[in-house]
Amino acid sequence: MTKYLKIDGMQNGKRIESRILEERIQEAIDNGHRNIEVKAYGQHGIGGRLWRAGEERVNVRITGAPGQRLGSMGFPNTFIEVMGPASDDVGWLNAGAHIVVHGHATNGIGNAMAQGKIYIAGDIGARGMTMTKYNPRFDPPELWVLGGVGDSLAEFMAGGIVVVCGYKPLHPDNILGHRPCVGMVGGKIFFRGPHKGFSTKDARLRSVDREEWSWLTKNIKPFLKAIHREELFEELTKDRNKWQVLVALKSHERVTSRPDMHWFRVDVWDKELGAGGLIGDITDIDRSPIPVITTGELRRYVPVWENGQHASPCQANCPSGIPIQKRWDLIRRGQYQRALDIVLEYSPLPATVCGYLCPQPCMQKCTRRQQGLANPDVSLLGRESIGANPPEPAKASGTKVAIIGGGPAGISAAWQLWLKGHDPIIFDKAKDLGGKITSVIPSERIPVDVVKAELKRIRERIKHVSLDTPVDKEKFMQLRKEFDFVIIATGAQKPRMLKVDGIENATPALDFLTLSKQNKARVGKRVVIIGAGNVGCDVASEAARLGATDITLIDVQEPASFGVERQNAEAKGAKFLWPRFTKAITKEGVELTTGEVLEADTVIVSIGDQPELDFITDGIETSRGFIKVDESYRTSDPRVFAIGDTVHLGLLTDAIGAGRIAAMAIDDQLKGKEQTLDRLTPIDTKRVKLEYYDPRVTSFCDINENANACASCGLCRDCGMCETICPENAITRVDLGNGDYEYISDGDKCIGCGFCAYACPCGIWNLVENKPLEELG
Amino acid sequence: MDSVGTIQPSTLSTKDLHWRILWDKDKCTLCGKCTAVCPVQAIELGVHRKRLVNVPLGLEDKPSNVYTVYHGIRQRTDVEHACVGCGMCNMVCPNNAIVPVRNEEIDKLRYHIHKDGIPRRRGGRRNSPESLLDKIKFVRISMLTDPALDAGRHEFELRTLLGRILPPEELIERERNGEWIPPVREIYPLIIGSMSFGALSPNMWEGLMMGVAYLNEELGMPVRMCTGEGGCPPRLLRSRFIKYVILQIASGYFGWDEIIHAIPEMKEDPCAIEIKYGQGAKPGDGGLLMWYKVNNLIASIRGVPPGVSLPSPPTHQTKYSIEESVAKMIQSMYMAWGFRVPVYPKISATSTTLAVLNNLARNPYAAGLSMDGEDGGTGAAYNVSMDHMGHPIASNLRDAYLNLVKIGKQNEIPLFAAGGVGKNGNLAANAAALIMLGASGVQVGKYIMQAAAGCLGSETDRCNICNIGLCPKGITSQDPRLYRRLDPEKVAENLVNLYLSFDTELKKIVAPLGRSTSLPIGMSDALGIDDRNAADRLQIKYVV
Repeated sequence: MTKYLKIDGMQNGKRIESRILEERIQEAIDNGHRNIEVKAYGQHGIGGRLWRAGEERVNVRITGAPGQRLGSMGFPNTFIEVMGPASDDVGWLNAGAHIVVHGHATNGIGNAMAQGKIYIAGDIGARGMTMTKYNPRFDPPELWVLGGVGDSLAEFMAGGIVVVCGYKPLHPDNILGHRPCVGMVGGKIFFRGPHKGFSTKDARLRSVDREEWSWLTKNIKPFLKAIHREELFEELTKDRNKWQVLVALKSHERVTSRPDMHWFRVDVWDKELGAGGLIGDITDIDRSPIPVITTGELRRYVPVWENGQHASPCQANCPSGIPIQKRWDLIRRGQYQRALDIVLEYSPLPATVCGYLCPQPCMQKCTRRQQGLANPDVSLLGRESIGANPPEPAKASGTKVAIIGGGPAGISAAWQLWLKGHDPIIFDKAKDLGGKITSVIPSERIPVDVVKAELKRIRERIKHVSLDTPVDKEKFMQLRKEFDFVIIATGAQKPRMLKVDGIENATPALDFLTLSKQNKARVGKRVVIIGAGNVGCDVASEAARLGATDITLIDVQEPASFGVERQNAEAKGAKFLWPRFTKAITKEGVELTTGEVLEADTVIVSIGDQPELDFITDGIETSRGFIKVDESYRTSDPRVFAIGDTVHLGLLTDAIGAGRIAAMAIDDQLKGKEQTLDRLTPIDTKRVKLEYYDPRVTSFCDINENANACASCGLCRDCGMCETICPENAITRVDLGNGDYEYISDGDKCIGCGFCAYACPCGIWNLVENKPLEELG
Repeated sequence: MDSVGTIQPSTLSTKDLHWRILWDKDKCTLCGKCTAVCPVQAIELGVHRKRLVNVPLGLEDKPSNVYTVYHGIRQRTDVEHACVGCGMCNMVCPNNAIVPVRNEEIDKLRYHIHKDGIPRRRGGRRNSPESLLDKIKFVRISMLTDPALDAGRHEFELRTLLGRILPPEELIERERNGEWIPPVREIYPLIIGSMSFGALSPNMWEGLMMGVAYLNEELGMPVRMCTGEGGCPPRLLRSRFIKYVILQIASGYFGWDEIIHAIPEMKEDPCAIEIKYGQGAKPGDGGLLMWYKVNNLIASIRGVPPGVSLPSPPTHQTKYSIEESVAKMIQSMYMAWGFRVPVYPKISATSTTLAVLNNLARNPYAAGLSMDGEDGGTGAAYNVSMDHMGHPIASNLRDAYLNLVKIGKQNEIPLFAAGGVGKNGNLAANAAALIMLGASGVQVGKYIMQAAAGCLGSETDRCNICNIGLCPKGITSQDPRLYRRLDPEKVAENLVNLYLSFDTELKKIVAPLGRSTSLPIGMSDALGIDDRNAADRLQIKYVV
């Protein structure tokens, strides 16, 4: 029998404190004792830290009741045998000690153990083998338990082996306690008997393999021997299948797996709700996922090729409605003659008006001019139009229309009616056709040949012109009776005069210009013209031509005159004064309300003209001396139209436009068409891109340069920009034959980026919202 | 801006806008994706003329001009097309050539959003990133003073109760006498707040509901979602999933006849009924779902013809006092399901909350009170309501809770807090703070949209265009072209992830306090704040 040094935990009837007991045990080791028996009275940490013995084996036998942390920080040389049950934390931070407990042990057995072995002959409490380690320099720690274990076994276990034999456990229905293996990252747990679950996030359960079985059956022998229960070997090892093993999941096995959502949707969600899920019963709209960039009907925006569907600003602002952009386009295409000819569809007097007399409201609104670039010279196009060939008229309809007045308005109406196959007859009191163009407008402003040529072109088509035929009330009623329609186009023939003293000494501008045109007018050196509008300017120029040297135009406000007329008058040295209010006209000249007298040999009043409407019947309403009409120039008598200055004082182009509209209205009515008056909505000029043009070019030397400069607002110039810019190559040019073409965007390719719309120089492509996938009721 | 010569009072430059588009000519490949995706057409292809003056060195020849044209991406500056900063352009750009950046100065745009005399309307929530909840710290770390818990190791039962909870003696008495006992639900304390079918796209709504069903059935988390005022899809009403749903009734009563028709066919009772009296985002204001958003789908769920504008007035028409509102509505809604379903009101947080609460305390049926603070979100409201109306949730909730404590009913009437919970991403911390201030649970909407569906909206005025139906993520749009960008399954998956991570975070907060089986409702000794006034006001610790 080995002799044991006995150390009593009780001295003089009093329990010695843990520090003293520890000192006595360490002192005994220092003194060479290697077999020590401690009678314990709850002292802490007995049997640990016996390194002073070096590699020599130390046996510690413990009787009585050891306290917590028995064998803590134990060394590999240490063998501890507890002769009864043990308290908490047996083998805490064990670094190699071999501990046998001949009874139950409480909580925390093997906590933080890294090496060594703990054999328990009974059950253990909660948190056994927690936070244990495996250090590759040493063998892994082992905890052997004959019975069962308490809750939370192997929490944060990072290495080592637990064997739970399940022999007569305290809780036979669950030998592993509640929730073992939480946070377990290493090691394994062999057990034999029923369990109630473990942390599946951390460990997995499997059967014991051959190698493990061999280890288990080999190592259980010393365990059973140590606890003196060798007789159980047979029972514990007779059936490998009664044993199972829990092993920590490896990192790669820890991917938190949960049921796939798609599976859930198909097998749970749709199964409960029905096909199509939540709202499959109330809609059949496809709700499957789509990419962010889409084509076809899934695009949010769609480009539309709106070629020619909008009026350019020039066309929209031309009272005659001439598509100037289209004429330049034809020139760019080399169709020079066609470019000239089409103007006759809009105006019978293009050379006269566009070429010379029109102040060109079209170009006031030219997109180029609006953005500070030079606009093309439209008067050049006008002058070239002397060579325009009229289109063929439509088939004769037999409809007879009387047109009273052979001025620009009447001619225009007659021309348009002729084009549409109707039979217009012009009645005019004058000897010549042309109205004010031939009788009033100074010949300086318009070469006589041009007017003659254009009137000739008209007379060749309009066969029925009854000149020298004044129309009075009786005649008017007759015309209204005999003709299908009557158009009043008698102009403003009655000069407006001031109601001031001595007005009889003044000459109306209309009279003066008429006489002047016939070279019958006479003026003095000093001429005062009351009214400084464009007609006043014409008067001034003519007065100068006739020998006046001191010409003054006065007005009650800033003169409204502009353009060529104004420039001519200023070139002749005419002075413009305003505001000046006439009090009287005397022999000296014009007396102003201020008392000042503007000396004059000749005074001409140029404050506008008024229509003479004595001949119209009572059924036709007038207002302030003009005939009231609707937007198609129809008077209150539905078969009577009124155009030109009888309706509103305006430009020649206004008169021509009015004639065209009235003719269209008549034609539409005859054909039972809805009245569209051929008006296109103007294009938004922001759609036209001028960045493609050189801003430093301020004039164009020939008709081709002019044509190239035109921005072609709303009319495709076939440049191919859209084809090129489209990132999806969705746009192609389709040849329609006869020089016609269109660009189309393939919806299956187009993503609705709008590049075509924003790159197009002419604003043809329009990006619009795709139509809703669902129409609301 | 356009190179036009004239300007209007509302003509703006890119500098005047809230967001400026930075575009890199070198990187851009002119693929058109950015202009195709921009929800508000804030960008377009620009045609640019470039001038180079060629000067021969030494001036021996005359200098000359060379003009070239290039195409690029140009930002529009008119008010209707001002960039909203969503950043979808960047998302689709293959070359990272384009991105919106916030202008450094306060924008001038805001002075011009008044077309036709109509002030700005938008979605989102209060444009202020400030959050008192973010400043609240959990200062009680009870590792040694209480049983310390480990968030990873311990089993938690983070559940809360929705319903009128009887005091134990009364409960026993009633059970003994076989009397009616108010229904109480044990639910997860993070509730998906009311977002209607209509405010949300069908794919978003289905995704959320699918995620909720998954959380309940696959993961055992009793998460609940409130319908908002837009009715409830008929199939959902008749499915077992309805038990995960809180049905909302509000001033427009949309969809309620459909719900009533479904009652005889219901397999399960809904979780609860929420009576909406107010909303934190636009307190005292109602809503109007424009006719063009009322498509066939929404119309059939709401029980109206399509293409009709649907007003939700600011107030319920037939209620003229607190007493009447509460008593009448609660009674009616209880009756619908035979007094088996808890019914509670939701109000915008207000300085008059206590009046409502006191009334509820006296009403034996009231199942709780939901308070929606000033930071609550919405799909559409006037900017002024969103930015300036409403009461902060923290003090309002605290007052309500302490008032319940005073009358000894803090365990009887659960309070639910909402409005800006997690507005800066700190969902669990904000929720825990509110719970410890006295909330039994929190309701969240915006965070759900952000985390589950990638909502781009922010409190610094990014995106926030839910009101015009052009949500670039498809969350609030009724246009299939937009909402099909959103895959319901992915929404559901993200919702699940969000709940699981919230759950972990909440455990990380409550475990050190030693709580694992009951929520630390009203455990305000755990809270601290480094703001003396706030500490005093909330009756929590002042810590520096």
